Amino acid sequence: MGQILQYVINGLMSGAIYALIGVGIVSVYKATKVVNFAHGYLIMFGAYFYYTFSVIVPGMEIMPDWLASWQPEWLLAWKAGLPMFSPMAAVADWIANLPRIGLGLVGAMVCNTLLGLLIERVLMRPLMGQSTFAMIMITVGMISILSGAASLIWSADADFVPHISPNAPIRFTLFGTTIFLFGADLVNMIIALLLFAAIVAMVRFTTSGVAIRATAEDQSTAYSMGISVPKVFSGAWALASLTGAIAGAILATRNGISPSLGLFGFSVLAIVLMGGLDSYGGVLIASLVIGVIEALTQWKLGGDWAEVVPYVAVLIVILIRPHGLFGQKEVERI
Amino acid sequence: MITGNLKSTYAADEQVFDNRNKKLFFAACILFLVGLGLFANDYVILMACRMGLMLIAVVGLNVVVGYTGQMSLGHAAFVAVGAYTTVVFYHLVGPYFPAGIMTILAFAVAIAVSAFVGLIVGLPSLRVKGLYLAVATLAANFIVIFLIEQDLFKPWTGGMVGTDTPTPNLFGWELDTKREMYAMITTMAVLMLLFVQNLLRTRIGRAFIAIRDRDYSAEIMGISLLRYKLLSFAISAGYCGAAGALWAFFFARILPEQFELTLSLQLVAALIVGGMGRTMGPVFGVIIILLVPELIKLGFGGLTGGDASMGKYRAPLQEIAFGLLIIAFLMFEPLGLVAITDRILRAMNRWPFAR
Amino acid sequence: MLGVKDIKLTFGGITALSGVSFEAHKGEITGIIGPNGAGKTSLFNVISGFYKPDTGVVSYEGRDISPLTPDKRAAAGIARTFQNIALFRGMSVLDNIKLGGHSRLNTGFWSAGFYLGKAQREELALRKDIEEKVIDFLEIDHIRKAPITALPYGLQKRVELARALAMQPKVLLLDEPVAGMNREETGDMARFILDIQEQLGTTILLVEHDMGMVMDICSKVVVLNFGKQIAAGTPAEVQANPDVIAAYLGTAA
Repeated sequence: MGQILQYVINGLMSGAIYALIGVGIVSVYKATKVVNFAHGYLIMFGAYFYYTFSVIVPGMEIMPDWLASWQPEWLLAWKAGLPMFSPMAAVADWIANLPRIGLGLVGAMVCNTLLGLLIERVLMRPLMGQSTFAMIMITVGMISILSGAASLIWSADADFVPHISPNAPIRFTLFGTTIFLFGADLVNMIIALLLFAAIVAMVRFTTSGVAIRATAEDQSTAYSMGISVPKVFSGAWALASLTGAIAGAILATRNGISPSLGLFGFSVLAIVLMGGLDSYGGVLIASLVIGVIEALTQWKLGGDWAEVVPYVAVLIVILIRPHGLFGQKEVERI
Repeated sequence: MITGNLKSTYAADEQVFDNRNKKLFFAACILFLVGLGLFANDYVILMACRMGLMLIAVVGLNVVVGYTGQMSLGHAAFVAVGAYTTVVFYHLVGPYFPAGIMTILAFAVAIAVSAFVGLIVGLPSLRVKGLYLAVATLAANFIVIFLIEQDLFKPWTGGMVGTDTPTPNLFGWELDTKREMYAMITTMAVLMLLFVQNLLRTRIGRAFIAIRDRDYSAEIMGISLLRYKLLSFAISAGYCGAAGALWAFFFARILPEQFELTLSLQLVAALIVGGMGRTMGPVFGVIIILLVPELIKLGFGGLTGGDASMGKYRAPLQEIAFGLLIIAFLMFEPLGLVAITDRILRAMNRWPFAR
Repeated sequence: MLGVKDIKLTFGGITALSGVSFEAHKGEITGIIGPNGAGKTSLFNVISGFYKPDTGVVSYEGRDISPLTPDKRAAAGIARTFQNIALFRGMSVLDNIKLGGHSRLNTGFWSAGFYLGKAQREELALRKDIEEKVIDFLEIDHIRKAPITALPYGLQKRVELARALAMQPKVLLLDEPVAGMNREETGDMARFILDIQEQLGTTILLVEHDMGMVMDICSKVVVLNFGKQIAAGTPAEVQANPDVIAAYLGTAA
């Protein structure tokens, strides 16, 4: 029993990140009926932007020293008094990194949103009203462009990036088992879940949310009722790339930065399909469940088996419940 | 200029090459391919072989995507199954059969096994369409490659580092040069293209197209969706398996990473660029998809003068060009190159009266 | 010949059909009428097997065909046309009609791929059959090679009828065959339908809003309203039925 709880908690923590990535895919789908196969690569860009603004930019000659590492008197004094590797020392390290973390997050969010808007404006908008096949294949084409562009721009080997929150190890006892986890993972999970909740609330309770839902129901009717469908489109893409930037930053601190981050998007796509493309709740549940199953698989069978868990799961779900666990089935009419 | 087609029998009207120009075009193509085999240099032969291999796979993909209208982003998996089946088959039964018939046997087995895997991967198509199917096939692609890479099967597949492949042998004739392989690949590619063409003018091909155009109507007209969707997946996977088997014979070594998503996307891209659901679509598409990166390579080498430090930019540029190709065609000519050649031919036929 | 008994069909909470029962006699034209949304097309979908009714039986040639899938029912001899033309737009007129012959052929995969032996014989026989019995009959020989998208509406309807005839059906379901047609085209289509009945002896079920045509060519009329069968009988009986008049004209309350 003891071990399993640890792995379930690990799984929930990565599941929350999946949900944060999935929310981008669902939002774009809800508004535009396009499934973004390149969402993983948008996240990869988010990760690279975070890296750029939290590592490369602060390291430049022209930047003030405090940006790379903030060391006011009081912090140095406090740090000197702390034992090495204590939780408080981790907090002190984090405070020193705060300026570049802030710059990194803001930079990543701004740049990624601009990228998302650019993609929507240049590639998706002209195809509005075209077949979904064409729109999906456009996103498939985007995969190559984004991945190629990333290796052109960031050709140097990527460095470590600072954690978003203090990475203090936490140890506590739950049901008689000692659980061990990192503070940063916990905070990441909380950030992911809060963002997820905020987006769901926005879609459900605000007027822009109503616009998104109306557009999802019927594009041309929504248009003729005075809803600016192009605005809804760009809003959805902005939302997806914004959350993608944060997810990218988190992934960068967890798994490091590499072009293979893009592949991550495919497993999340599988998870989203499992939950039901148009259901935020379904996606959240599917994300957490897959996160846990992955963690357990990793424990029992090893890391590489965990990678195929989403794909096997999506095949099973599609065969049993074609439109996802919580998706809506459309009645066909002749 | 052809102004009319006068035929006196139904058989004449049902031919694949139903007019003089088509017959001439086909003859010219065959002549060109033979000439290429006899006179081209090794580099051209290598490119032609790669095109031939990919063509067989794309013709197969065309059956499922272009004619039956079922999305797939996982066809590289079937190529992998074909290639690995060939190698494993040689390992397992190679010692018991004469080398001269092993090649044909392995080829047939590779097709059969791929077709069977295609049946299984096609199962979701009975429940879902469109993007759900795209993701299901994508997932299947990941799973197949994952299984090949597993240590469990390493004795047969070589795992992550790949495995050496056998040399083909047709009744004692060893095809150990690229030029001999060219003959085999081209012959198979032409024959398999014609085979699909024949299928399309019979009830089987019509059933596929009917399912693509309007599945419920097809079912009410007496077409079993179960049977024909699965048949379509099996045929298409069998073609990819054949391509995989030839791939294994052609290259000295195969690696699992060659059959990942990138290849699946290349196959789909070739179909989009060439034109889906059209005979010549795969042909044009494959030529473009393989030629453009080569041209970039040549042009890039010329521009940088072979500067080694610039070399790392080549692969990303090729990748970007590949993506741009897909997007450009989807935006400006979604029907593919075939639509452009159609227009040109029509204009030529009417010249000088109209354009 | 073809009968339905106590058909009940619901979608979620909405009842599309309830308690529909009638029998279409061999070689006769049976009309099914009713206001929009009365469930006429749903009834056709039940007969061709596209919808599974909650209760009730569809019988054909004296046996219960409820367990059969749509393609099996087609093979057994039930053909239909659609309200919104459901031709295969990627095929020529000829291929569309040939597709109707699908169930009659049984070319295997290898034979088809090599186009030898059986495949060739069957395909040529089918072509001959279609040319002589369908294309000639419906007078569409001038458009046989045309793509569907190039045809005007009226001709598309006729091609759809041709495709159904190529199935050599024993029962033909026609879903609004003259909707949207002008007087002359309607007359043509009515003539074709009568020809089919007389020369081929096909049993025909006809859903149509054109009352003149229904009353002229049908020997029996079934009236649906809000999914319920409110009348059935000869055209004269139905026209005199007070419920039918109420459904079409409203009651003078």
